[in-house]
Amino acid sequence: MADLSSGAIPRRFNPWPVTIFTVLFILAVLFLTPTIGVLLSSVKTTRAIALGDLWSWPDRLYLGNYAEVFSNPAVHRYFLNTLIVTLPATLASTALGVLAGYTFAKLPFRGSNLLFLVVIAGMFFPPQVILVPLFRLFNSMGLIDTLWPIFLVHTALGIPICTLLMRNFFATVPNALREAAILEGANEWQVLTRVVLPLSLPALAVLATLQFTWIWNDFLWPLIFTQSDEKRTIMVGIVNLRGQYTVAWGVQGALSLIASLPTLLIFLYFQRFFIKGMTMGAVKG
Amino acid sequence: MERENRFWRVALLALPLFVFLALVIWPLLSSFYYSFTNWNGFNSDYDYVGFENFKRIWTDRLFFNAIVNTSIWMAAAILLPTILGLSLALLLDAKVRGSKIFKTIFYLPICLSAIVVGQIWVWIYQPDWGLLNTVIEQITGSRFNYAWLARPDSALYAVIVAWSWQQTGLSMVIYLAGLTSVPSDLLEVCDIEGATPWQKIRQVIIPLLTPSTVVVVALSVINSLKGFDILFIMTGGGPFNSSDTLAMHMYNESFRKYFMGYGSAISVVLFLIALTIIGLYFRQLKKVDDIYG
Repeated sequence: MADLSSGAIPRRFNPWPVTIFTVLFILAVLFLTPTIGVLLSSVKTTRAIALGDLWSWPDRLYLGNYAEVFSNPAVHRYFLNTLIVTLPATLASTALGVLAGYTFAKLPFRGSNLLFLVVIAGMFFPPQVILVPLFRLFNSMGLIDTLWPIFLVHTALGIPICTLLMRNFFATVPNALREAAILEGANEWQVLTRVVLPLSLPALAVLATLQFTWIWNDFLWPLIFTQSDEKRTIMVGIVNLRGQYTVAWGVQGALSLIASLPTLLIFLYFQRFFIKGMTMGAVKG
Repeated sequence: MERENRFWRVALLALPLFVFLALVIWPLLSSFYYSFTNWNGFNSDYDYVGFENFKRIWTDRLFFNAIVNTSIWMAAAILLPTILGLSLALLLDAKVRGSKIFKTIFYLPICLSAIVVGQIWVWIYQPDWGLLNTVIEQITGSRFNYAWLARPDSALYAVIVAWSWQQTGLSMVIYLAGLTSVPSDLLEVCDIEGATPWQKIRQVIIPLLTPSTVVVVALSVINSLKGFDILFIMTGGGPFNSSDTLAMHMYNESFRKYFMGYGSAISVVLFLIALTIIGLYFRQLKKVDDIYG
């Protein structure tokens, strides 16, 4: 009976999927517009932009802006400096987070929860609070205007988030695995490096992406700790180059895009781990 | 066994804790110390000035201006990305065509640096050929060249829009993750009972998403307190200090005017504000934890 009637009545049109798609589409266009603006500026001449032609589809691709950016030796230096800081600091902060996270997850002791909270609290404080003392410390060590302070500060400031994410991840690794390995005669270091870490690759990928993006994009610390153009990183460099290309908007656009490329590529590559990783670290935090 | 464990705890924790203590905790404590001095950033000697710097805060008109701006900035920087991110997540959860691509588009701005985001939005607000004024001109048909970032009335809000554009993707991802744990049979029951979609969202989904909201709000608080780069690049705190936040004010006093002692005093206040917010927040969090386990 029911079958017959449902066969007879034509399926009602459901308006929801179409409406939702349309809303999402409009929002996506709005969200993409700013980025498309930069993309357009980078393939247009400064003259065209000044004449109010930035937001139209280009008739022909003008690549002069990119040529200008790539041939500028300062840009090479900024890129190299940023890499020299970002790669080691990403590695170091992740490694320290692994060590602390493992201890908090698998070897708890009296007061370890409190200690863990103190470390996590480091995440919440505005970096401005430790600016002046760190400036004085590095100044007295003669390290101002070198890349060392930037590396050291990012390593230290990465510890809270890395410890949090790794502890939460390690907590999901069954204790039986560790106990079995120890019964077989492995020591704690072997358990960590041979048993637990190989299981943690997705978590490590998320953490490395987060840290890389954050350090690469950082502006405050290199602004404070470096002074000469030789030691500037890319984000401070972009701001400096604005003086050189005051109204060369096209060059500024090309520069912004090139400076964002590493973080964009890394994100797109690790995207699938990323959303899973956010769930793991954040929601059960 | 227990002795071995003790050895490994020390061995594994020593390095991370040392770095953390030396470069985060120690500077934090010495900030308090410097706030009682008149160090100028260059000389190696300085005087102890007692509460002088803190008295000065009370008479610093710009400090109160910064407090007001910081409150506006934080309220908006928490509310907007949270509400927008939740709406996007709910729309995306309907699993329409292309939702994966939409997700990537909404998330993308997070990968950009504040400097690049600032630059992009400076162009949108550009009075002569910026997109915003161009669109307004197209709609109204008359010449429009309001300088959004150069007017005290609009500068701070213009930066807030840019900031929300960047941060929304983050809250969206966290809410999407939270939505996967909403049981689908519960939603089916709602449909059978004849609940409207709005009732379903208001009374079932949003309460179930409380743990995600906790994370989203915490991250927004952290990120907005740190909001310095984007203001630095878009307005520099101007015009006429109309977008000067505490973090900006502290930077100006310490590294432009070289009143590092006074700057430390401002940072101590900033620290205490952060501590209060976080303290209140963790108390709420405990209540949530008690309810949701």
